[in-house]
Amino acid sequence: MNTIAEHIADFLKEYPPFDNLTFQELSEIAANIRVINLEKHKTLFQINDVLHDCFYVVASGTVNLSVISDAEETLLNKCHAGDVFGLRPFFAKNNYMMTAKAREESVIYGIPIATFRPFVANNPNVLNFLLESFASNTWNPKDKENFRGKLASDNFFYAEQKNEMQYFQSLTYNRSPLVVSAADNAKEVALRMTENLSTSAVICENNLPIGIVTNTDMCSKIASGLFPITIAVNSIMSSPVVTVVENVSLAEAQLLMLKNNVSHLCVTHDGTDKSVVRGIISEHDLIVAQANNPGVLIKEVKRSLNPKELRQIRERLAELIQNSINKNIPLSHINNIASEINSAILKRAVEISILELGSPPARFSWLSIGSQGRKEQLLLTDQDSILVFEDVPSDKYRDVRDYFLKLSKKTTLILEKTGYELCPNGHIASNMLWCKSLTDWTKQYDSWINTPGENSNNLSSIFFDLDLVFGEKKIFEALENRIFESIENNSLFFDFLGNDALRKNAPLTFFKKFVREEEEPNKDKFDIKTRALMPLIDGARLFALHFSIRGFNNTYLRFKQLAIIDPKNADIYLNCAEAFLVLSKFRVNEGLKNENSGQYINLDELTKLDKEKLKNAFNPMKDLEELIKSNFKLTQFS
Amino acid sequence: MLDWLKNINKEYPDFWKTYLSKFEEKPNRFVVFTTETTGLNPYKDVILSIGSFAIVKNSIHIGDSFETVLLQYKYLHDNGLSNEFIIESRMKKLSEPDAIQAFIDYIGNSVLIGHHIDFDVEMINVSLERLGCGRLKNEALDIDVMYRKLIDANDKQFSLDELSDIFKLPKTYRNTPSEDAYTMALLFLKLKSRLGIK
Repeated sequence: MNTIAEHIADFLKEYPPFDNLTFQELSEIAANIRVINLEKHKTLFQINDVLHDCFYVVASGTVNLSVISDAEETLLNKCHAGDVFGLRPFFAKNNYMMTAKAREESVIYGIPIATFRPFVANNPNVLNFLLESFASNTWNPKDKENFRGKLASDNFFYAEQKNEMQYFQSLTYNRSPLVVSAADNAKEVALRMTENLSTSAVICENNLPIGIVTNTDMCSKIASGLFPITIAVNSIMSSPVVTVVENVSLAEAQLLMLKNNVSHLCVTHDGTDKSVVRGIISEHDLIVAQANNPGVLIKEVKRSLNPKELRQIRERLAELIQNSINKNIPLSHINNIASEINSAILKRAVEISILELGSPPARFSWLSIGSQGRKEQLLLTDQDSILVFEDVPSDKYRDVRDYFLKLSKKTTLILEKTGYELCPNGHIASNMLWCKSLTDWTKQYDSWINTPGENSNNLSSIFFDLDLVFGEKKIFEALENRIFESIENNSLFFDFLGNDALRKNAPLTFFKKFVREEEEPNKDKFDIKTRALMPLIDGARLFALHFSIRGFNNTYLRFKQLAIIDPKNADIYLNCAEAFLVLSKFRVNEGLKNENSGQYINLDELTKLDKEKLKNAFNPMKDLEELIKSNFKLTQFS
Repeated sequence: MLDWLKNINKEYPDFWKTYLSKFEEKPNRFVVFTTETTGLNPYKDVILSIGSFAIVKNSIHIGDSFETVLLQYKYLHDNGLSNEFIIESRMKKLSEPDAIQAFIDYIGNSVLIGHHIDFDVEMINVSLERLGCGRLKNEALDIDVMYRKLIDANDKQFSLDELSDIFKLPKTYRNTPSEDAYTMALLFLKLKSRLGIK
């Protein structure tokens, strides 16, 4: 009887695959567990380490699993409490294929394989779980339903689980290439290539690669009759052979093939032809690897049938964003990819609802508003949307509206299950107020624009960031045209919007200190959304509307466009554009770190340098503020 | 080397001789232990239970543990205390001589780890005295001292609760000496790596 073993058994029984075992069995396992404390950034095992005699369960903290390619670390997965990892010793005899490193101080249970093996043998559920988890490197607790009993989807994406920004992923390639000696004749080599289903053979002398023959050589030199079939391969080989280091990335391999005009690369120990051959990368390997890219993610979206599948894709997107940020890919570029995938998910949600409800009785368009409308949604935030349907005869109005309300309810529910929370202010299409005909919407916008002071509690400026997600483009354009017509020279509306933009709280105190939140739960943190990002977003919207800029909803692009249209203030706009990116990055990093919307930055965790960077990003706001005041003559009011 | 000289006048029990012989080798194992006692006076008070875990190669071996409740009928009777706790407990129960002997067998030449360990060692020593044995020979490390060394402070003692707070360990489990020992073991691992002890 061991008290701690019981506590550990209690802990384990909450998580698969341990939930398939009896408490008695778990206590027995727990009695053999080794508890390890990993300090932050400490490595538990790394690539090519000899396998340990146990696998691991995170008891507390977080462990990052990563691979290294092109001398860069790519995160594969984060393991939280209850996650199982390091299963390799169970199935494979070769060394570890990834690195496990503590992201924060973590306590890990090491379960000896020898102890656990009998339970696997006697319990098919446990075995299945382990096999599936192993196929996907590790196991994500959020996929619980999907990983039980069956794999999520019938496509390679889940089976292989390549989460990184695909282009930078390391390649899987033939690690046991066909090696022949220089004196072998062509026929012999051709026969062996056929036997091995290989498109190439490396010619080695003293274990060092001196050349390569490929299908092309066989075709152009032997089959063409240029050389006899009995000739030694060294007379027809291509030499020297193009060599690369291990863990080369897709991008680099592709570049080398194009540069050298070859279809095969030889992987050697140190990347030169003076070391041992490790494998052969063929063009085919590149094609296979390329199938995993953001484009495929979008394809996946189009194929998904339920919120669960959408949710998984949204999670992959989060990882893609995280990896891209780790790799310092420009945020504007990440933003583009993310918003495309986001849009595809929104669109699919509407589609799924239509599939369930039957064809709509009238034409309509589903519009995103707010951050989705601006296409700058990197983190999972709440959903904001409206629905506009075409005008119908009054006797049909009720039925039509009922259909669309039903449609909206279904769609927002699907999106909620996907992970987008409903807007706390009710700015969603399933709200009766925001699901109406084009005429009603025109009236709505007219009243907002012409009498902004009245009913202003209903007016949220996010209604002016519109983006078509699904449906008729014409309806969307009709509405947009109407908005731009009405606001032209409407100083009252700009007064209102301008004052609204200026009303936001300053990020720094008089003494140039950060203004921290005073109340729980975010006490002492910095609200980057309302204090730093919103003023820029509002400013960009205000000027974009003022100059009738259409087609650019993104704050960054709006500023860029403004710099072109209004060249005398170009510096201010460009600085704002830069600042917006810097601030967004802070928010995204904070959000990814804490798996939330990143609205509140924990200043105590920032380095001094980062704090300075953050402060510097506030500088353009002052200029923007002045610009708003002078442009819309607001000085006398504010 | 001169052990036989010390032993010449005194016939130690066999288990104690075995224990002493273990010290010819260097220890490769840590044993974290704590005792639950009736009070703070080593001579008047007695040990009620012992909980301990072994640490080998930086990991706590859950299976390599020792926990027992000591049956102290005499002490409880003399002091008019109830023995309900002892009867109710599901832990292994041993009489004091058996428990101490088993504990000595268990620790061997390991380095002992504890919180304010001097007191725990003293309690064991007094029990050993009653069995006609010598004093513990093991090296001992105190996690409070280790922590104070880490933060370079000498003016304050830190309780186990405070240390658990500092290192963000849950305190909910701490009801039995085994659970205390486990907490100490985790603290020891954390302190050990921070202090760079091999």
